[in-house]
Amino acid sequence: MSSKLTFTRRTVLAGAGAVLAAPAVVKAQAQTLKIGVLLPRSGFFAQAGQSMHRGALAAPAVLADLGYKVELVHIDTESNADVARTQAERAINDGCHVLTGAFDSGHTLAIAQVTEQRQVPFVINIAAAPQITEQGYKYLVRNFQTGGQLVTNGLRLIKDVMDAKNVKLETAVFLHANDTFGTAQRGAMDAIYPRVNLPIKLVESIAYDPRAQDLAVEVTRIRSINPDLIMCVTRASDAIKLVRDMVRQRFEPKAIISPGSPGFYDEEFYQALGPLSDFVLFGLPWVNPKSAMSQAFEKSFAKASPNNRFAVDSFNAGFTFEALLIAADAFKRAGTTEGAKLMEAVRATNLAEHVMIGGPIQFDAKGQNPNIGSALVQNQKRVPTVVLPKDVALAEPVLPMPSWQGRS
Amino acid sequence: MNLNPFSTLARLVDETPRRALVLLIGLVAILAVAPAVLDRYLLSVFFLIFWFATVGQAWNIMMGFCGQLSLGHALYVGLGGYVGAILWVKFGISPAIAILPAMAVAVVFGMAIGWLGFRFGIEGVYFALLTIAFAEVARIGFDNWSFVGGAAGFFMPVTAGGGSAWNLRGGPLLFYYVALAMMALAFIICALLRRSKLGLSWLAVREDAEAARALGINVFRAKMAAVVISAAMTAVAGVCYAFYQNNLFPSQTFDMARSIEVILAPIIGGLGTLFGPILGAFILTPLGQTLIALVEKIAGRSIPGVNLVFYGAALMAIMWFSPNGVWPWLKKKLGIPEERQ
Repeated sequence: MSSKLTFTRRTVLAGAGAVLAAPAVVKAQAQTLKIGVLLPRSGFFAQAGQSMHRGALAAPAVLADLGYKVELVHIDTESNADVARTQAERAINDGCHVLTGAFDSGHTLAIAQVTEQRQVPFVINIAAAPQITEQGYKYLVRNFQTGGQLVTNGLRLIKDVMDAKNVKLETAVFLHANDTFGTAQRGAMDAIYPRVNLPIKLVESIAYDPRAQDLAVEVTRIRSINPDLIMCVTRASDAIKLVRDMVRQRFEPKAIISPGSPGFYDEEFYQALGPLSDFVLFGLPWVNPKSAMSQAFEKSFAKASPNNRFAVDSFNAGFTFEALLIAADAFKRAGTTEGAKLMEAVRATNLAEHVMIGGPIQFDAKGQNPNIGSALVQNQKRVPTVVLPKDVALAEPVLPMPSWQGRS
Repeated sequence: MNLNPFSTLARLVDETPRRALVLLIGLVAILAVAPAVLDRYLLSVFFLIFWFATVGQAWNIMMGFCGQLSLGHALYVGLGGYVGAILWVKFGISPAIAILPAMAVAVVFGMAIGWLGFRFGIEGVYFALLTIAFAEVARIGFDNWSFVGGAAGFFMPVTAGGGSAWNLRGGPLLFYYVALAMMALAFIICALLRRSKLGLSWLAVREDAEAARALGINVFRAKMAAVVISAAMTAVAGVCYAFYQNNLFPSQTFDMARSIEVILAPIIGGLGTLFGPILGAFILTPLGQTLIALVEKIAGRSIPGVNLVFYGAALMAIMWFSPNGVWPWLKKKLGIPEERQ
């Protein structure tokens, strides 16, 4: 056999073709999945962004134990849609095979423009606008409840806790911030409340300015109505004002429940109010405290962020972990980082074992996971504790709420 | 004063120093062919540069030329964006046509602000507060207007109409050229306006409104014209931005932070100059992006907020060394004479 090489036009063209194709081949055969994690770690949404970031820091160790190889690229969107979009482009330029993020729906959609055009899978960890999965994006899936689902599931849990404790709540007032989030939740509430058949008369809806110094006027108004239940949509700063003014005015409803909003489980809330932060309830998707993967994730979280409490971060951190899990699992099944095939694998996800409460992670035709559950969580001894559903609960719900006085 | 735009343009070119003209033509030529070597990330950065230069130019008419401080220009961005998006999604009207009603709506609001402000003698910071108030009212109004999605946002379908320039559906390359054209057009309009009788009236009003009135200038009309033209130009940029992002949220579109972003480029570049807003945008947007990459490179990872600290420090340094803006300083260095009135 002769070893002499002859250079014909065909061999030269074939060689050139092989050289040009080499990066694609190398890319397709990558051993590690490179994921761009775009989160608002500074700016208006920084608190949530940093909480999600801690989840991303804890994830690689757990994923490695599960046999997944991922490399994370942490990117700050600065709570700005323009930055989210340009950084998404840069992340893909730098070789990210999948993107995840981005908390705010506007930022999420800014990234979705890029991933759709570049045919790179985008796994949304948190973003609630229902339209995200209604616009026809092919390279996007969402492992998070829509705003409507958050409210619906949160309201159903109010009925469950009444039944579980055999407590009758006859009247309610709905209190919400007049900002974008609060107004959107009010819209969802107006549409959904009549449909869930709660045996509670919704007496009034009150909007407040989250930038106000206190909520004394609003609490006075609620006090004059004297409802059994206060349903509220808050963030941490106004949740603190609400409880403080209720304590000042010695107003003690039977229950304070937030159907599908944050505020009551932020570290800021516990630090500011101490024992007064206890016994408020909130219905939200939550980490399943009894799942083996959650427990492993909690251990990894404690190692990665020893100064933060997993229980407090578990909502944001849990969904961020799951987004990374979805991407890693799809990569393992697809065996390639090529966008179209990887996206096909993402859409075919079927993960029975995961960290958030609910059924297996699957996606419908529009890319929405319909199986995410909600839990009723109650602050007990300054720890957000799952109290319903019973199969995942760590404690019994306390209802009616004990008096503000004499707490420790 | 000749009001024919073509002869005014010809005279403008004739009177512009050759060195400045060569620089300008070179810059336009480079920008026209640049996409051949730019990747998608850089195209998206350039889109932002052109966009901020355009809205900066529009804002400069009000503040730089006429001396009327507006801190609520996000109002016109939002109105333009919403009108363009609504007409496209609900009625299938192309944004190329929708810019006319978008401008009309922005003009109506601009006239309302102008009439209230100028007729009742609301001036200076109080006029600025009035502009903020209108933007805030619009934000709250759109937050509660269910026809356009309310606070939950207004969305454009991804596949509607396919990709075409006519419908502003496409990737960063399309938006690069659209924004470049917008910036060039805004520059030409401002150059023509500044040389017109109206432009001279603006400068007189800016320097001393009472003296201008004594000279027979209709101050009210001049100020109204500045608001109306500025609002209309900003609304066109708003349409472009809405189609670029494909969605609108009142909290972001009408946000005070957006209004501040709009005014940064002309202030840094040089208030009241033609090149200031463009130069400012060419400094600020790349500076922000470069600092993100630089911090990552030096620290080996992204450290949130650090780049913003340096960004703030850089702004302070620029203002320290060139308090009138970068363009007047650069013009001096390049030996380009003052713009002729």
